[in-house]
Amino acid sequence: MKRSPLTLRVAVLTYVGLLIGLPLFFVFQQTFSRGFGVLWQALNDQQMDAAMILSAKVALVAVPLNVLFGVGTSLWIVRSPSRITTVLDRLIDIPLAISPIIVGLVLMLAYGQNGWFGQTFASWGWNIMFSYPGIVIASIFVSLPLVSRQVIPLLREVGTHAEETAATLGAGPWRIFFTITLRSITWATAYGVTLTLARVIGEYGAVLVVSGNIALVTQTLTLNIGANFDNFNNYQGFVGSAVLALSSIIILSMLSIARNRERKRHEYLA
Amino acid sequence: MSPVKGVARGAAVTFLSLVVLIPFAALITNAFNGGVSGFWSAVTAKESLHAIGLTFFCATLGSALNSAAGLATAWVLVRDRFWGQGLLNALIDLPFALPTVVAGVTLYALYGPLSPIHLSLTGTWIGITLAIMFVTLPFTVRAVQPVLETMTFTAQAAAATLGASPIRIFKTITLPALAPSLLAGTGLAFARAIGEYGSVVFISNNLPYKTELASSYIFSLTSSSQNTAASAVSLALLVVAMALLGLFSVLSYHFSRGNR
Amino acid sequence: MSIWLKNISKTFGSDSVLTDVTQEIPEGSLTAMLGPSGSGKSTLLRIIAGLEKADSGLVEINGRDVSSVPVRGRNIGFCFQDYAPFNQLNVFDNIAYGLKVKKLSKTQIRQEVAELLALVRLDEYADRYPRQLSGGQRQRMALARALAIKPTVLLLDEPFAALDAQVGAEMRQWVRSLQHQLGITTIVVTHNQSEAMEMADQLIILNEGRIVQAGTPAEVYEFPKDEFVHSFLGPITTFEGTALRPHHIEFCDAGQGVGVEIVDVLHLGFEVRVTVKSSDGALTWVQLTHDEAQRKSFANGDFVTIRKRIS
Repeated sequence: MKRSPLTLRVAVLTYVGLLIGLPLFFVFQQTFSRGFGVLWQALNDQQMDAAMILSAKVALVAVPLNVLFGVGTSLWIVRSPSRITTVLDRLIDIPLAISPIIVGLVLMLAYGQNGWFGQTFASWGWNIMFSYPGIVIASIFVSLPLVSRQVIPLLREVGTHAEETAATLGAGPWRIFFTITLRSITWATAYGVTLTLARVIGEYGAVLVVSGNIALVTQTLTLNIGANFDNFNNYQGFVGSAVLALSSIIILSMLSIARNRERKRHEYLA
Repeated sequence: MSPVKGVARGAAVTFLSLVVLIPFAALITNAFNGGVSGFWSAVTAKESLHAIGLTFFCATLGSALNSAAGLATAWVLVRDRFWGQGLLNALIDLPFALPTVVAGVTLYALYGPLSPIHLSLTGTWIGITLAIMFVTLPFTVRAVQPVLETMTFTAQAAAATLGASPIRIFKTITLPALAPSLLAGTGLAFARAIGEYGSVVFISNNLPYKTELASSYIFSLTSSSQNTAASAVSLALLVVAMALLGLFSVLSYHFSRGNR
Repeated sequence: MSIWLKNISKTFGSDSVLTDVTQEIPEGSLTAMLGPSGSGKSTLLRIIAGLEKADSGLVEINGRDVSSVPVRGRNIGFCFQDYAPFNQLNVFDNIAYGLKVKKLSKTQIRQEVAELLALVRLDEYADRYPRQLSGGQRQRMALARALAIKPTVLLLDEPFAALDAQVGAEMRQWVRSLQHQLGITTIVVTHNQSEAMEMADQLIILNEGRIVQAGTPAEVYEFPKDEFVHSFLGPITTFEGTALRPHHIEFCDAGQGVGVEIVDVLHLGFEVRVTVKSSDGALTWVQLTHDEAQRKSFANGDFVTIRKRIS
């Protein structure tokens, strides 16, 4: 293993350390700077707690829906390609490249009070904007391709031989699906789910536009942090940030585990 | 096709339509609510041009810097062995997983008026670019890393036997081989930077005509119910961003000549 | 340019890859370094090229100690097992690479590359990219590229391992005649014994980091120094307790040898392999040419007599 020049190593470590490490450290340093008593109180702040619960509720619905959509569409795109699927493939990638503010805007245009379907839905009793459903839709939008992007290349690579073999051994389509197909994409899906979760609980711009940021009602944890800083409640904002930073670290570990399992499967196949 | 598949596919398409297609159709319609002239005047309004211009400037600068930094980081992660390498690898992923607002407020606190290191970068393009660099580093690193990992480096050894110096080898052999993935990663970084909101809005201070980014400008239009103008500027931003991404794609394809 | 290897040793971590290797490579010869995987032959080749550094010992090229000369200063042509093509450059630019480094003029480069393209018969492929070439063509390009710098020594690391049998055979013949034509001191590393025998003027056999024997193919085959060389260079079978070449056993009339039962007859084209079992159950196999076998007609279950061939 050739070693890279020492100066390069030092330069990179300094760059990444200052750029990424320092802010992360700062969040936790600020959070613990006033002692545990104050911290505990902040963690029990009514507004922040309501925000955390809302974020959790959004994730609870948005993530499973996205997984269903993601796995289903991936299977469709890879196993039954057609002109529709090529278009589908491209369409799914769009959300990732769009500013979250624009995401919020377009959802509002379509489902807002004066939007295309807004009044139709309102007459059915569904309020999309400034409410929970809107936040869920926005969250799904911004994380739409995250599962597919992991599963599609894997499905392509794995190929159909295992499934065909199972068929020759007498297995029916559902058995093949559950015992072979799903098994082969487990860790890729897990990776995608983790990315989706991170994106959903971390979304800010889109939810800001769509929810109206009504404290205690439509304010997610990210919105709560932003609001605190806007109102110069910096410490409270940092506490919320630390909660999210901690969950990010946990999520990263989950990602790393999923990635390693994927690599092991790779080595086994190769 | 089994009925189950048919229903499932129908559901998927409906889902996609509700979430993506219909909203986009609404965007395009709304953008031209005032006709083509309305669209044009909204896009070319002074504040709009300024915001878009600043956005592109910072996005380009940030992605370009991270292009080089990403290559260097990937190199050190793949071609070296040292204590702390695992931590470095994990840190790279942090901006992917961390909510933008957390990055935004932290960077504001670290480099803003309350900065413990007495550095005030709020309301400057430097602060904005810094935030963009925070958010986009993973894109370039992770784009180049897998290519470096599978590179056998025999071509580099061959070039050495032919008399080439290490710098020449890097310029003529290594860099061209990495160009496609590096360009792709930089393109992704750029796309992300153009639309970034949560991580840049705090440190930018949103001063119109000075440090207001396109996303903030659109947000202010939306908040004041100027939906037509907001749609127009959004559409313009999307079109220009797509065009630039297309350019990146073409460049990337051009450089992958040897892989086809 | 002759090469002298003197007391070369190399360890990787705790593995001793080469131990005290000393050998002369005569000028203008085609030497094959032969040995099983892990015998250290590739490492030795890389040390000669300067791609690895020996822990101790030295490499002399034409009387000059090059041990501390970096790889790019040794003027050595090296062909890698994977051909190491410069994928981003077309065939012309690949071959011209070393010439550009030497800062030759454009016209000079064009002329020299044209000659080399003709030499390796890749004239029409100058504009193609390596990915569009077959394995054999990439091999020829790699050779042309190495020859472009007019190297004093040519080193080939398992050059034919990835080619199919037919192409490999053609390439071997072609490289051998090319080497004779150009007269460059050449070393080929291979684990394929028949390939080495076919090409080499001199054979160096390595095992576990040491040179076990060196000599012409005929010498080494007929007079192996030990069991390892004996069995590595050619097929071996046991007859009456001794290890012999299968074609050193012949069929004879009853009473002139040992009685055995035929248990298997394999027709391998030119060669016919007959496996026989003696009264104590030991298996021996005898090798005949197709014609010889035709004259006798063997079948499973026949009882025949064999003996060591009388020269």
